[in-house]
Amino acid sequence: MSDINAVPRTDKAAADDVRVGVYVCHCGGNISDVVDTAAVADALSHHPDVAIARDYVFMCSDPGQSLIVDDIKAGKINRVVVAACSPSLHELTFRKALERAGLNPYLYEHVNIREQTSWVHKGDHERATRKAIRLTAAGVEKVARQDPLESIAVDVVPHVVVIGGGIAGMSAAVALAERGIGVTLIEASDRLGGRVAELPSVYPTEQTGEDLIRELRDHLFVEPLIEVRLRSRVTAMEGHVGKFRLLVTDADGASAEVRAGAIILATGFDHYRPADGELGYGTSPSVMTLPEFLGVLRDGSLANGELRIGQKTVKSIAFIHCVGSRQIEGVHAPQADGKVNDYCSRVCCTATLHAIREVQRRCPDIAIYDLHKDIRTYGRGHEDLYLQASRDGALFFRYPDEEPPVVADRSGAAVVTTKDVLTWGEELEIPADLVVLATGMQPRDISDLIAMRKLPVGADRFLQEVHPKLRPVEMAVNGVVLAGACQGPVDIGEACAAAQTAAAKAAILLSKPVIELDPFVAHVQEDLCDGCELCLAECEYQGALTMVEVQNDGGSVRRARVNPALCAGCGACAAVCPPRAINVAGWTLDQFDAMVDAIVAEDVESLARSERRARSFAPLAVTIGEASR
Amino acid sequence: MDPENGRLQADVLVVGAGIAGLQASLDLADQGYSVALVERQPSIGGTMINLSKVFPTLDCASCITTPRMASAAHHPNIDLFTMTEVQAISRTDDGFEASLVKKPRFIEEDQCIGCRRCEEACSVFVPDEYDHGLGARKAISIPFTNAIPQYPVLDEEACMLCGACAKACPTQCINFVQEPRSIAVEAKAVIVTTCFDLTPMDAKKEYGGGIYPNVLSPLQMERLLAPHGPYGAVLRPSDGKTPDSIAYVQCAGSRDLSLGVPYCSRVCCMYAIKQAMLLSGSLPIADITIYYMDIRAFGKGYEQFYQNARAMGINFVKAKVARIREDEDHNLLLRIERQDTGEGPEEVQHDLVVLSLGMVPAWKPTPDGMIPLQADGDGFLRLPQSPLWPNLTTMDGVFAAGVATGPKDIVDAITDAGAAAMAAANYVERARRSAPALAGATR
Repeated sequence: MSDINAVPRTDKAAADDVRVGVYVCHCGGNISDVVDTAAVADALSHHPDVAIARDYVFMCSDPGQSLIVDDIKAGKINRVVVAACSPSLHELTFRKALERAGLNPYLYEHVNIREQTSWVHKGDHERATRKAIRLTAAGVEKVARQDPLESIAVDVVPHVVVIGGGIAGMSAAVALAERGIGVTLIEASDRLGGRVAELPSVYPTEQTGEDLIRELRDHLFVEPLIEVRLRSRVTAMEGHVGKFRLLVTDADGASAEVRAGAIILATGFDHYRPADGELGYGTSPSVMTLPEFLGVLRDGSLANGELRIGQKTVKSIAFIHCVGSRQIEGVHAPQADGKVNDYCSRVCCTATLHAIREVQRRCPDIAIYDLHKDIRTYGRGHEDLYLQASRDGALFFRYPDEEPPVVADRSGAAVVTTKDVLTWGEELEIPADLVVLATGMQPRDISDLIAMRKLPVGADRFLQEVHPKLRPVEMAVNGVVLAGACQGPVDIGEACAAAQTAAAKAAILLSKPVIELDPFVAHVQEDLCDGCELCLAECEYQGALTMVEVQNDGGSVRRARVNPALCAGCGACAAVCPPRAINVAGWTLDQFDAMVDAIVAEDVESLARSERRARSFAPLAVTIGEASR
Repeated sequence: MDPENGRLQADVLVVGAGIAGLQASLDLADQGYSVALVERQPSIGGTMINLSKVFPTLDCASCITTPRMASAAHHPNIDLFTMTEVQAISRTDDGFEASLVKKPRFIEEDQCIGCRRCEEACSVFVPDEYDHGLGARKAISIPFTNAIPQYPVLDEEACMLCGACAKACPTQCINFVQEPRSIAVEAKAVIVTTCFDLTPMDAKKEYGGGIYPNVLSPLQMERLLAPHGPYGAVLRPSDGKTPDSIAYVQCAGSRDLSLGVPYCSRVCCMYAIKQAMLLSGSLPIADITIYYMDIRAFGKGYEQFYQNARAMGINFVKAKVARIREDEDHNLLLRIERQDTGEGPEEVQHDLVVLSLGMVPAWKPTPDGMIPLQADGDGFLRLPQSPLWPNLTTMDGVFAAGVATGPKDIVDAITDAGAAAMAAANYVERARRSAPALAGATR
């Protein structure tokens, strides 16, 4: 592990013997058709810190990289600037070239004169060239003040904690154990299986949910690498990627510490519970939710071609979609947090049609009415459920988004009143022996866990991923991964896919004994820190910045301290620090000052007079003039 | 890799380097497994690199796909084969043997520096597949700006053999007589991530797709909307006019028994809404109408995205388009019946129409095909029924991900691919445990 508390040395005067090599890339005409690359190299060759300045057709090609490697090996240069494309393309390429030549790879600066110059200033070669010179000069100023950084090494505990013993948590645990990774699976209730275990039948195998869970459980218990802790909760969480410490407390109040390199959150969802009186729920005996109705299908009330609820034989059922989902402000009552559930719960359309098919198969005489906004049977084979339900006589009504149906109780039976878009807005009254509300999914209340790590939560209250498109199971908290419905509504197959992807991400983190983190983290210079704590308020990363007591002249003072494994290097703390005591390694305030000075320098005089500089930059400014042909 | 013999040993062979294949490869390689990644196109990146922006984040597709492509291409554990097709995959005692054929680019890849001098020198223009025929490319060209790898391909059919490219090439890397090359790969597991095709433009004759110039496919519209697109603006192909009124015909290739595509293609509602949003940004005064059956905005953040589009003034009309006609100015007349007004059938005029085509598999297994897998009635790869193992196929050791097993959007394909990587990794681990001597010998 590098000496992470060392203060970065950013004062250029203190760094002895700065010899920068500058390489200006033509990018095969991409740059050199607009920017006079030879003039850029020539201008920079007069910079006092530049030992060599060259231009070349393709710096990224093997011969281009060899120029750099050879110059380093010959001892001509000890820092490198390449002026070329975007750093996202080739910064890493050139850092590796430095490494191959035996130089610290962070003594490198990548200046973008393609996207930021040649591609956007095609019509003005002279000013494009001047801009390229300024940007490259800024790069030289930055790299001249650059420290030889080292990546932060974190030892990895080869163990994963999975929080939540539903289908996603079980699936992730099984996948990791097969991979040879030890898992502690923590479940709050006294059984595994979560919501899936409650399902009477599962599309498309028509197994019971219990059977499906049993199949996974059989894998789980033959794996010696999995430790299951039922009736247990995580009561404290500390540490960082590679080395988390969790306190797990069981129902008897006994606590144990579990260490893990990664954490998978699989805390699941709650069914939406309609408010009292919402669509007759709780006020009419004939109204129940879809999960309650599935319980009825499971408990044997539906037998011998007859569905009996209480003393009543059910002859007609109305299913109402989007209860607790796709809610609209002003139409639906807000939830406890003052917001409506404006999201789609994804699974309820298919789940409703699956239940309808079950009724049609077992009680073909029951009349089925389906009231929806849109039918969203998106999954593979799901559309068939819709088609078959329709063919077997289910009647579909489409209610306007802003005008949900109304359910009234009329002498023991329900009457659903709705407007039907499919018949040009006709008002209908549908008497139904039973009304089933297709309730959506809501995130479980895991505010305690969220508070422990400041876990990111979306506007929909579900846990939030780093990037909803490209990195769907990773969280901004490094080492914490998402699986299943804690992140948003998913069906069983999707939950298992997410869980196994989460397992892959955890396995990647644990695949090496040491995780190397970027060195670009904040550093506090304790002798400058005055303990004002402004930085604490800005830090978004729990535990990255703390106040510690430090002995000073016999007394004790409070000073900010950074945990480099938790710091993301965002710089929010550095920006607010009044005495400039905080710097982000590789991006120090002095470096920024020097870069800005180089970019805005108007002429010889202003560069030469710059107070932070020890010597004159006259040759540079002269060549800027020369370059503007 | 032993280049002399054209043989390679890898833990996992991944077929297809679209976003699913890239993700599966990276999730394996980052765990330390070696991967052979095979792509039949000249560049990796699949359909995603071809898109303008992605829903619901409206990220630039190029900007977020290119880093993934670069990571896979430069990964020390990934051997990448582009312009390479799988001829056959067969079982061996301890895994699979695949025979691949690398088609000629007519370029010596190890000498090419990607400078594009050949492309500039070439005088033959042909329609550009990447721009779906809306633009042109040269007979020798790098397929698109951010293609990986950055090697040109010489189009055998279009080339006049004038030699201008060879004269312009600074490294003399053009080889007009390059032959296909055979490569054999031994692997312990296989992941199939083959891609999709859109349903044909002319599948529904009554819509005039492929005949009327101003009826576009959704991927053509993606190119028009892309910042580096063929026209640099959204223009009508027939006359180059800026369209004032644009219509989307939903389910123009899905949920349609007459097409043999009864299923929902999952992505068309969202790409139509996304394109409508982008259009209202680039053509602020244009009217945009989406004719739909159901709006299926089911993914995370999608419903909110849909509601934003409605709030932005995009017209959503619940109506099935029966027929499209063209007038003498190539304007389009759509025969529809609105279900909200009850005024009966009417004909509505639009300047430009996009048919929201559906997804069909680009590769279907056949009994004598490259690998003895089975397809379902919908043409996509058959999965065992249990939802517990979403990536198993009908063949032990062969896994599938992405649109190979049915239509999916990008995020669902990425999640699916990670799961396939985990399943394949565990299969390799089991193989090692059960045959330690053999595993030791091959590593």
